[in-house]
Amino acid sequence: MTPHIGDSYAERDARERARALLDPGTFRELLDPFARMRSPYLAAQGVVSQSDDGVVVARGTLGGVRACVIATDGRFLGGAVGEIGGAKIAASLELARRDAERGMPMRVVLALDTGGIRLQEANLGLLAIAEICDAVVALRAHQPVVAVIAGRVGVYGGMSIVTALCNDVIVTEGARIGLNGPDVVETEAGADEFDASDRPLVWKVTGGRRRFAQGHATALVADDMPDIRAAVEDAFVRNRPFVAIERPEFPDPGLEREAFLRAYGITP
Amino acid sequence: MRIGAIHTYLELFARYFVDLTPDIALVAADEADASGNLYTGANTEETPTIVEATAFRNGVVIAQVNRIVDRVTRVDVPGDWVDLVVVADRPYEIEPLFTRDPEQIDDVQILMAMMVVRGIYERHRVRTLNHGIGFDTAAIELILPTYGERLGLRGEICTNWVLNPHPTLIPAIESGWVQSVHSFGGELGMERYVAARPDIFFTGRDGSLRSNRALSQNAGMYATDLFIGSTLQMDPDANSSTATLGRIAGFGGAPNLGNDPRGRRHPSQAWLEMTSSTHEIRRGRKIVVQLVETFRESGVPTFVEHLDAVELGRMAGFPIAPVMIYGDDVTHVVTEEGIAYLYKARDVDERRAALAAIAGVTPVGLLADSTRTQELRRDGIVAFPEDLGVARSEANRALLAARSIRDLVTWSGGLYEPPKRFRSWG
Amino acid sequence: MIETLTFTYPASSQVERRAHVGVVASGNCELLLEPHSEQHASVVVRTSAGGYGATWGAVLDRFFARHPVAVRLEIDDFGATPAVVAMRLEQALEQAR
Repeated sequence: MTPHIGDSYAERDARERARALLDPGTFRELLDPFARMRSPYLAAQGVVSQSDDGVVVARGTLGGVRACVIATDGRFLGGAVGEIGGAKIAASLELARRDAERGMPMRVVLALDTGGIRLQEANLGLLAIAEICDAVVALRAHQPVVAVIAGRVGVYGGMSIVTALCNDVIVTEGARIGLNGPDVVETEAGADEFDASDRPLVWKVTGGRRRFAQGHATALVADDMPDIRAAVEDAFVRNRPFVAIERPEFPDPGLEREAFLRAYGITP
Repeated sequence: MRIGAIHTYLELFARYFVDLTPDIALVAADEADASGNLYTGANTEETPTIVEATAFRNGVVIAQVNRIVDRVTRVDVPGDWVDLVVVADRPYEIEPLFTRDPEQIDDVQILMAMMVVRGIYERHRVRTLNHGIGFDTAAIELILPTYGERLGLRGEICTNWVLNPHPTLIPAIESGWVQSVHSFGGELGMERYVAARPDIFFTGRDGSLRSNRALSQNAGMYATDLFIGSTLQMDPDANSSTATLGRIAGFGGAPNLGNDPRGRRHPSQAWLEMTSSTHEIRRGRKIVVQLVETFRESGVPTFVEHLDAVELGRMAGFPIAPVMIYGDDVTHVVTEEGIAYLYKARDVDERRAALAAIAGVTPVGLLADSTRTQELRRDGIVAFPEDLGVARSEANRALLAARSIRDLVTWSGGLYEPPKRFRSWG
Repeated sequence: MIETLTFTYPASSQVERRAHVGVVASGNCELLLEPHSEQHASVVVRTSAGGYGATWGAVLDRFFARHPVAVRLEIDDFGATPAVVAMRLEQALEQAR
């Protein structure tokens, strides 16, 4: 018998994710690949650029309301944010804020699949993320900003801070949210402390289920488009204000390592 | 130490009983009892064969076991054949060599899988078979419940398998395609699923798999209509080898499974289709398929004028070049460009032309004459995807019954337990 | 460094619309295909895998011999094999027709 295999979000590319999040038939991309908004810095470093710089911005409706979905392409340089892609994100958030101030709210969804700052663009990526953080906070004054973290890369680095600034964060079991990537943690702290090749450990510590339990994610859903769309729409309808996590559910860092791991549900 | 020829499994086991009998055998098992009876669990593999050859020729059999028990779960090797049992300080480890993550399967592999199902399995009504491990054969396994179903082929093809417990076969099993699977060995993570499907796999009364490499290789040689596998290099006569300059890989079961066993006497539709003879004395032929992309990932062509294996053999002082599968055993070659039905070629020249026709822009392929290729297509000796009714636009991941390891777990009803390296959830 | 290759082919047919396929990921490539007002096809390939000019030429020669369409084609390549490139070309053409 065919089991229920969901209509997977993770399987889709950024463009298709944006299309699937918006109401059917309403997808319209801004600055599409033919606008050729490429990074001016990659060629000189021997890296081939992509025509959308790894970011898709799409307008349409979501639950019948004007909406904008901003999706990062995790397949291009790990979804890392550079100057151009970062400008697309920040500018879209800025335009949404202006519309909100004029009484024309637009639902904004950040569909993020990104390793953070693009190292090849260093400070420009950092600057872009700073602008994005600023834009999220400004927009948040008017309406919820909703993040969907349900792809195969997850969200790391500066973009995890952007995520933490959102009112609602919708995750799946396969999602990951972290600041330093697992390989970086292993390099810094040693494999005995954190074995990045122990995949279940990586998800136990930074995965969707853990982040939902800690309150960093506000909804945990199956990797199935109807469930994800319902959670997104629910987030806008509930219109909950941003809540800073005052008491995160972290175990006491002063615990001995084994007790610390057990508190995470990990048998050492 | 002298290095001899590269053997295939059944060949090596054969020599254990002739001129290469072990003096000392070191084997691994899950359990032993006080009498030295061994339980090898799912991974019985070649252990009984090695032990039998050694024990009955005055050799010494030493077994490393994970634990000693009062009563073994099942007697896989009798204690009379075992001389020494050592409890290992660390359990023996198996690598999950036969697990392929569906997330890694790409459009090109799906296109080739569609051509195989349409142009070979359907055409020749292949019921009994072995798949050499790879992403391309995993793609075939995963499109049976979708593409194969659409073609109405369930129950007509791919019913009986000689195969390790591939997780990617789970959807086809659960969809009712498979009647039986006999395995060479086991696969990490598949233990509970296999135990739950005694109607499909060869399980003992205790519920766990009993694999046997010698018997399974024999089954794969004589009792399957078809072998399909991949290779690293192929010459214009379809000789192939994984032994290349810079890297000698073993051949695995390919030479054994990928040859036409002329001792076979039982007919089947697929076997008989390989001959056009109507003579009163005739025989069929095993379908041996080589499945390759024209270029390897590194950008190096698969098709070459001369196999590296020839030079390698000379350098190592081998009397003959280490060939994995000989061209005259190959009946079909499949690339992303199409299928060469080599068994239909009327002479050597026509064989070479058919192979060149699907060798793409490799140096071998660039020598193909387009007029000749058109004639070969007209005569049914070469088929491009469009000749088979296979649309490139359909060759995408939506055709896979499972697109992730997680999907395979879902298909198995939670019984498949992927090893850590394949998990992306926690 | 990035190698840039250009090719031109005579054309005798048109496409209806533009097409975008693929992604700049390892072993893959991105294609931008647009109808061309001129009676020829012009192709630009940017690749980080240098030294394969002859192979690119052979793949494109075959494609345009089979489909002599008047298009502007841009390819951003990150080490795709001829099999992948041929697949993307066919997919782009399908979208454009």
